[in-house]
Amino acid sequence: MSATAAQRFLEDAAVKSADLAHREFIRRGMESYDAAHLKGRARIKDWEAARQKCQAIKREAINHLDRYLLQFEEQVTARGGHVFWASDGSEACTYVRDLALRRGVRTVVKSKSMVTEEIHLSPALETAGIKVWETDFGEFIVQLRNEPPYHIVTPCMHLTRGQIAELFREKLEPQIESDDPAYLMTVARRKLREAFFSAEMGISGANFLVADAGAIAISTNEGNGRLCTSVPRIHVVVTGIEKVIPRLEDLAVLWPVLATSGTGQGITTYSTLIGGPRRTREPDGPEEFHVVLVDNGRSQLLSDPEQREVLHCIRCGACLNVCPVFRHIGGHTYGTTYPGPIGSVLTPHLAGIQEFKHLSYASSLCGACASVCPVKIDLHHHLLQNRRNATNAGATRLSERLTFRAWRYAMVHPGAYALGGWAMRKTLRIVYRLGLAGSFLDPMRVWNHHRAPVPLPSESFRARWRKGLAAN
Amino acid sequence: MHAGEKALPQTDNASRERILERIRTGLRTRLPEPAAAGRDQVIFEPVTNPLQRFQQECVANLMECTLTDDTNASAVQLAIILHALPAGEIFVQDHPSLRTLTELARSGRPIRWSSEGAPSEASQATVTLAETLIAQTGSIVVTAACGGRGASVIAPCHIVYATINQLVPDLETALSNLNRERKLDSNSFACVISGSSRTADIEKILVQGAHGPRRLAIVLQTGN
Repeated sequence: MSATAAQRFLEDAAVKSADLAHREFIRRGMESYDAAHLKGRARIKDWEAARQKCQAIKREAINHLDRYLLQFEEQVTARGGHVFWASDGSEACTYVRDLALRRGVRTVVKSKSMVTEEIHLSPALETAGIKVWETDFGEFIVQLRNEPPYHIVTPCMHLTRGQIAELFREKLEPQIESDDPAYLMTVARRKLREAFFSAEMGISGANFLVADAGAIAISTNEGNGRLCTSVPRIHVVVTGIEKVIPRLEDLAVLWPVLATSGTGQGITTYSTLIGGPRRTREPDGPEEFHVVLVDNGRSQLLSDPEQREVLHCIRCGACLNVCPVFRHIGGHTYGTTYPGPIGSVLTPHLAGIQEFKHLSYASSLCGACASVCPVKIDLHHHLLQNRRNATNAGATRLSERLTFRAWRYAMVHPGAYALGGWAMRKTLRIVYRLGLAGSFLDPMRVWNHHRAPVPLPSESFRARWRKGLAAN
Repeated sequence: MHAGEKALPQTDNASRERILERIRTGLRTRLPEPAAAGRDQVIFEPVTNPLQRFQQECVANLMECTLTDDTNASAVQLAIILHALPAGEIFVQDHPSLRTLTELARSGRPIRWSSEGAPSEASQATVTLAETLIAQTGSIVVTAACGGRGASVIAPCHIVYATINQLVPDLETALSNLNRERKLDSNSFACVISGSSRTADIEKILVQGAHGPRRLAIVLQTGN
């Protein structure tokens, strides 16, 4: 298995990064994010203080995870809600599927939730004969294409309006006559309104679980999260155990920071709090309220003193947006639920270090991710730790060990290093002169295979240094 | 609710104890205490003129805010908004002040009151009160008491009738009031709404009016 995921990643990455149209399209999308993000940050007087505050809130929550989860559970249960703890994805899926079957649910409307992607909830429900509608506009589009989300915040950012119009013509209505985004939204809205008013169950995620208020918090701009949690008679929340925060007032900084990092907004349009099923005097709302708390490997991160803070992540997507690797290879190449830097750090923990260790190397270690992270997760250092852990845990190739032994020898013996450099320059000069650059005889073939060779210097760096390079 | 419907699909939840045990075991690994951050850092610029700030943020959030002097002026404003909408029923939160206001506005439209249940999908507009207005973010705070959950999201136009004394400077004040008054004990739902429904999922182009209201209009009364 190990070779498969890694090989597929390398092949897809090579194809995607050579697709200049894709790169240009993503670059334009990300540049508009960059501008909005910077403008959003400027609205906050002290951005660094805001990050420190968010980090402190999440640290407190995670360091007392059991206590805050129990406090949350107690309040939700007291108001007539149900809390189910699921060790892994299949347990969570079974709970939701059995509940749906027992209540005679035929149609489910879903608002955006990455945890449901992680545990593959929709396929589990569809196998049981239940129709599932993704209702976030972007999620709806990728669902029609049978694709996973490309990005955790903007799931269809890889598609042009022309492609989406074509998709709607093929899957929804043959008479789609325009690719105007507002018109396409109207078509989707009409279609999804039918789903909202026929569904018996709404499934949502949660951005936060507020312990002292006993409520879930959901941020949505479109309002689909509102409809999913208002119209159907059953509301199921599927979320990770790490989403808990201690106090309602913590949202006074978390909401603006999440919105700023996610889209550059001051606050998301609908910042919703739900604490249970509809009360007797209330005109509407679901009669049943279930919260499924998913562990699925998260609790094992607690005993890792270096990486416990990975559980602080609020899934804003900022690290994906700034990552030069993501911008070149795109979201689908990762082959994981969570792409980008946070996905490369998290996936080995959730899905297996040996199978996904290659993601730790899909980074230039530039640190752009850590510099934007609103909860200050030291992402690129965690990639380095994952490299180390994977190497310590698994066998490395003999050739790799020999190469590093030779490298180490050269680094502590300057004479050997100089000799090696001289031999390499000579060899390359001959290889290039014979026109063999990029061939199997070329020691630089990995580079030269796709690129013109870098011109060789006439002398070594050391020789130039001695001649007075330092003076310049 | 039918008999037996309360029964859970799985009555025992063995994983609950297992997960709690795993969490407690994991937390036994102690982390070094971080250096204490400066406690008194000001994260957000304090709001000095709440009304002015609220109006600015409303513009930024693509929502309308009209100031009125008294109840009569508010009724006139409500009538103007309703007059521009397509024919059809409106949904109104059943509250004495809104009974008075809609009577004064004399729109002639059929009214469905929140005491009669959820808004119908065909509602042209919903009229509700708010719990609080927030200057810092240009938001209104509604709870289930403001006509229920669907009142602020089902119709294409949401009209909010508020008074100036409901305006608070910032999000933190609004949230601590909610917590102090235990609003989430008496309501199953609360929402901080900051603008009309929107999406930018296609090529990051902003489209107003996604699944919720295309238009959010606030009639903000400054006097009696």
